[in-house]
Amino acid sequence: MMFALTLVLALGCGKGKEASNNEEEGEDDQAGSTAAASNTAGTAAPAATPAAAPVSADAATIAGTVKFEGAAPKMGALQMAADPYCQSQHPNGADATDEEVIVGPAGELANVIVYIKNAPNGPPVTTPAVIDQKGCKYHPHVQVVQVNQPIEIKNSDATLHNIHAMPTVNSQFNEGQPVQGMTSTKKFDKVEMTPFRIKCDVHGWMKSFMAVLPHPYWGVSQMNGTFTIANLPPGQYTIVAWHEKYGQQEQNITVGAKEQKQVAFTFKG
Amino acid sequence: MKPQEPIPHNYSIARLNLIFALSSLLLLGTTGAIVMYDYVRGWKWFQWEFLRLQHERLQQDLRAAKQSQNKEQLAGLDKQVRDQEIVIAQHRAQYVVAQKELDSWEGKHYAADQDYRFAKAKLDAQRYEAESSIVQKRPDAAAQNQEYAKQTAHLAQLLLTLQDVARHRDAAQATVNAWLKRIKDAEDKRKELNATIDLINKQIETVAPTSNFFVLNAPMLDFISPTFKIDQVVLSDLYIDMNYMPVPRVDRCQTCHRAIDRPGFESKKEAARLEKELQGKLDGGQIDPAKREETETRVAQLKRIQDDPNEILNPWRTHPKLDLFVGSASAHPLLEFGCTSCHRGGDRTTEFGRAGHIPANAKVERRWEASLLPFFPGPWDYEKRHWGYEMNEFLETPMFPRQYYEAGCIKCHGDQVQVRQGDEITRATQTMEIVGCYACHKISNWRFSDLRRPGPDLNGIAEKTTPDWAIRWISEPHNFRSTTRMPSFFFQRNMIGPSVPAAERDQNIKLQDAEIHAIVSYLFAKSTHREWQAPGNGDAAHGKQLVETVGCLGCHIDTETIKDEKTGAMRLAKRDDFPLERNYGFNFTGIGTKTHAAWIYNWVKNPKAYYPDAPMPSLRLSDQEAADITAYLLTMQKPQFMKQPVRAADPKAVHDLAKGYLINTMTDRDAEAKLKSMPMEEQLVYLGQRSIEKYGCYSCHNIKGFEGLKPIGTELTTEGSKALHLFDFGFIHEYTHESGKKEHVLHNVPSWVYNKVRSPRVYDDERTKIYNDKLKMPNFHLSEEEARLVTTVVLGLTKEKVEPAKLAGHDPATRTAEEGRKLVSQHNCRACHIVDGYGRAIGSLIADTNFLPPDLSPEGGRAQSAFLFNFLQDPTVMKIRPWLNVRMPTFHFTEDEANRLVAFFAAEGKGKPFDNTLYTSPPPANVAIGKQVFDMLRCAQCHATTPVSPENPPQPNVANAQSLAPNLTLSRVRLRHEWIPDWIRRPGEMIPTTRMPANFPRNAQTGGFQSPLAMAIDTPAFAQYKSTLLPYFNNDEKQLRTTMADAVALTGYLRDYIWSIGITQIRAAAPYEGPTMAVPHPPLPPAMPAMKTGRNRRSNDTQEVRIDDVRVDARARAGLR
Repeated sequence: MMFALTLVLALGCGKGKEASNNEEEGEDDQAGSTAAASNTAGTAAPAATPAAAPVSADAATIAGTVKFEGAAPKMGALQMAADPYCQSQHPNGADATDEEVIVGPAGELANVIVYIKNAPNGPPVTTPAVIDQKGCKYHPHVQVVQVNQPIEIKNSDATLHNIHAMPTVNSQFNEGQPVQGMTSTKKFDKVEMTPFRIKCDVHGWMKSFMAVLPHPYWGVSQMNGTFTIANLPPGQYTIVAWHEKYGQQEQNITVGAKEQKQVAFTFKG
Repeated sequence: MKPQEPIPHNYSIARLNLIFALSSLLLLGTTGAIVMYDYVRGWKWFQWEFLRLQHERLQQDLRAAKQSQNKEQLAGLDKQVRDQEIVIAQHRAQYVVAQKELDSWEGKHYAADQDYRFAKAKLDAQRYEAESSIVQKRPDAAAQNQEYAKQTAHLAQLLLTLQDVARHRDAAQATVNAWLKRIKDAEDKRKELNATIDLINKQIETVAPTSNFFVLNAPMLDFISPTFKIDQVVLSDLYIDMNYMPVPRVDRCQTCHRAIDRPGFESKKEAARLEKELQGKLDGGQIDPAKREETETRVAQLKRIQDDPNEILNPWRTHPKLDLFVGSASAHPLLEFGCTSCHRGGDRTTEFGRAGHIPANAKVERRWEASLLPFFPGPWDYEKRHWGYEMNEFLETPMFPRQYYEAGCIKCHGDQVQVRQGDEITRATQTMEIVGCYACHKISNWRFSDLRRPGPDLNGIAEKTTPDWAIRWISEPHNFRSTTRMPSFFFQRNMIGPSVPAAERDQNIKLQDAEIHAIVSYLFAKSTHREWQAPGNGDAAHGKQLVETVGCLGCHIDTETIKDEKTGAMRLAKRDDFPLERNYGFNFTGIGTKTHAAWIYNWVKNPKAYYPDAPMPSLRLSDQEAADITAYLLTMQKPQFMKQPVRAADPKAVHDLAKGYLINTMTDRDAEAKLKSMPMEEQLVYLGQRSIEKYGCYSCHNIKGFEGLKPIGTELTTEGSKALHLFDFGFIHEYTHESGKKEHVLHNVPSWVYNKVRSPRVYDDERTKIYNDKLKMPNFHLSEEEARLVTTVVLGLTKEKVEPAKLAGHDPATRTAEEGRKLVSQHNCRACHIVDGYGRAIGSLIADTNFLPPDLSPEGGRAQSAFLFNFLQDPTVMKIRPWLNVRMPTFHFTEDEANRLVAFFAAEGKGKPFDNTLYTSPPPANVAIGKQVFDMLRCAQCHATTPVSPENPPQPNVANAQSLAPNLTLSRVRLRHEWIPDWIRRPGEMIPTTRMPANFPRNAQTGGFQSPLAMAIDTPAFAQYKSTLLPYFNNDEKQLRTTMADAVALTGYLRDYIWSIGITQIRAAAPYEGPTMAVPHPPLPPAMPAMKTGRNRRSNDTQEVRIDDVRVDARARAGLR
């Protein structure tokens, strides 16, 4: 009867599902309830990059320099009077200058993080990255770690430091290190390409920046402004340079097999 | 023989036969049609389709389960079985012998058992013989007894034999089992691995159609035990109005929405959201290890749903947020709440149209309505999702459209200020509170009772500003302040809009001008004229700095233009551009044009001196600070506003309007005479009084002569239940909104309310009405989002009956908390603080997180009640964060209000409302140990321990970021005894942005706390501490080490030490000597019961209004409508 007819028709054509297109009735557009919480630009993980290849025979290297154009701003001295121990570590204020902008005599800009944006993921790294609190300053001032790479945080001072990391994608942490020589080991499990601040709440002048990348293709410009990125598989990439005060710059490059590519960045003051 | 004569009939038999045949066929056909009509139901098709979908999904799951099965393990088990079988085969002879042995012993056991049982039976018989022979004193008694004894002995022997045989048999069994054990183990393991697949296979069996299925569901036979049946849930404590009688709801929605409570049929969007959530929990280690596999399977299922090229459509979808709604473990399980209690609609119907589905927009409506046969939608339509829909205009409770789903929350959650996990509805009621709907429209809910009037007191208006300004303001407030909450009463679309004829427009302008002038005349005539002292010279630059740092901008906005996010150009700001809390106070722009120095100066120093109900608290400004702020605010001028031309009041218009009121109580001639005797000023004042009455200004503002009047608007307490035909849709189906957007008016209640709220006078479009009959509701310039939220609340205000047990938030703890929350909302605490996990509108204005006002989420568990009580009433009793620039204002709470707030925080933080730990004395040993721990952890590097004056601590030097920590001598009187150790252990979990480091970080695996002192105590640098501590541990190094590793013990010692150095007393709150509030808030007068007929939307009132010497009969007011 009609029901049998119904069955026959229904058996043939299943319309409980439909190719998902403009589904205005079914769209669940409750304001805000399903909004994702990604709130920094450029920190989302790169879409499905293939598993990294180990160092291939035709790996290329990128070497480059970062220059600063314009008059280098004068960096002030760090006011360490609040903690006599810190002051004692820098007699006559030696080596106690703000590290925000470090420009060499020929205009070389240091502490610039240079990395490849869309490189394939690297193999997991087990050697820990070290950040040392010495003389009430962070060593190094900027750093890059890989996802899930252990980070050893060391307190080489005989004063209380706390390590307060403020990432936006990963989980924040804030731990005290009252004992000289103690280390804490942490890691970040999500990619965060925009470097975030690490500070000490006891000593407000201390700051350091860290980024978390999924691959080892990065470099930090040294005092002479040079950086190196090694073992890069050939291909087309976007290379990014980041400075804590002067922001971010990007370039598109193509790297050939076994090429020694030169890349230059210039930041204007 | 005579030939048979034909028997005469009255009727032609042939014809009768024909009629009979036809009518039989007709009857058959009708019966068939009846059966068919009853049998062929739309919902059966939906259930059939769902079976098919289930089948498909199960097949997918089966494939996935097969894939994820550990093939190697299975293969290994198979190998194990085979190997053992081979071993058995190799030792076959032995196995056979063992088996034979077992068999023979089995046989022997059987025989022995049988012997034993027979002997036992015989013994029982003999016992009877023996006993009866004794009783009956028979001569053979002795012989019988002897026989009995013999048989007993024989039985005992048989038992021994049996047990012996049994032992042998068990041993043989064990031998055989040993051979078979490995096979059995492997089989069990394999069954375990296959469990999932077996389960899925079983499920597939239940959904696959078998021949049984067709028989059970056949027409006429389906009364026995059909597979397709109506699925319902009866809710005996949620009522629906059935012909004026509340009856329990019977929700049959699941009949078509088969998967509503079943996970596995989510939409792709929902699946993505759920996957993200669960994956986040898995990664963060928040899932119980026992449930881990289950969660991973679910995540895999959600991934499959997203990868499927097709999307599950309604009605076969799972309900979104199953953990909050509908799921059996959720707060609203299906069996207790059903569907219609939230979504409304026809509960008992199983037809699509009759159930009250409302399309979300016109496009959806068109698709639903399409149908091949008008009265018989069927599979031919359903496949294209044309449901043959026709709106059921007889259904009094149609469903809420998609954008107003939350309206259903109000009937149970209407007594709550904050609904947990219900951000939408919380925001909706909060928007209504800020916009002030409750002031004109009485809403009897607890949520909207006892709220302050949204507008300022107008009794002192002459002290503040000038009539020139007031006229321009009332004409169009948004010309002065684009973010103002004051609505626009005049020159709206029904007065001068495009649909009004030109001649009428000019006349309307004159009449409106007359009314505006009149209102201003009245207000200024009745105003007080107190003298206020002028300030000294102020420094505007310093004032600007103060305004931006002291905390004014938490409640106030100081700009009128804002950069548009999309275009980047500057544009006028709207209320929406700022957090709700910052709209509490007015926008500073133009304040210098509106008022003068003396007024501002005295206001910022002591707002309550102007009127006791002033919402603004006192910032305890010194005279100089107040003068500086005044100087700054005076620079915020808007001269172009005053340059707007103002038309003078047309005497004829004034005369006509005034006469229109007068002739309600006197004759035309008398009215003329009276008016002639009144000078223009007096006419204006009289007209002003009547106009204020007409427009209802007194509902939001305190105005002299209008105290105690009822609010002017329609009562909204049960507006959501009002029948559709009682709403006046006017003549329009679409219109152009004042903002330029084209809006459609659908013929349902939500659409009416939404458009009313968006453009209150729109229903006057294209209509001819006399001036006084036109719609009066003012235009609040609500954005689409604000209008949607307000509509949601209004739709939710229904008269549906709910059993008190089902109402949310009625336990005493929640009531206490909600009372406090109401105060928090009324006094706008969230402008500066995070309360209940959200707020701190001022946060975006303070760059350095060290200088933010504190997050009050842990306050309940943290602060002692006595301290909090005094602090709230008088924040100067303790300055715990002297480095902050923002100031906690003095709110002049009454004791009752302070009590309510303290109880709220205690209920919120799950602390005891009143604690008595202040005078607990810590043991001296603990104090000494605590001091050592304190030194080892170097707490003193941030926390000072030198005594300071609680009220006036030294201002810290904030260049040293070190000095941004509270002084610990103030802890004992402020913090709770049991809270301090908890805080020291996990500050980052309580307040995520705190500067306080975690000295005892959590161990990621175990979740416990690690102590850095466990290692440190043995290092040379700590040798001195070790030697000091050892005596307290009986010189036992091991005990010392254990304690140094125990974070709970260490934090306890720290707390004891902090307790020992703390002060025990602070000043009590200074009594408030300013203007006392005789009545906490001037209460909104009680409403008279609304009339049941639809005629008068406003309640009939019989109150009399006496103004000076003009008595007005209330009935006359009805004519003012």
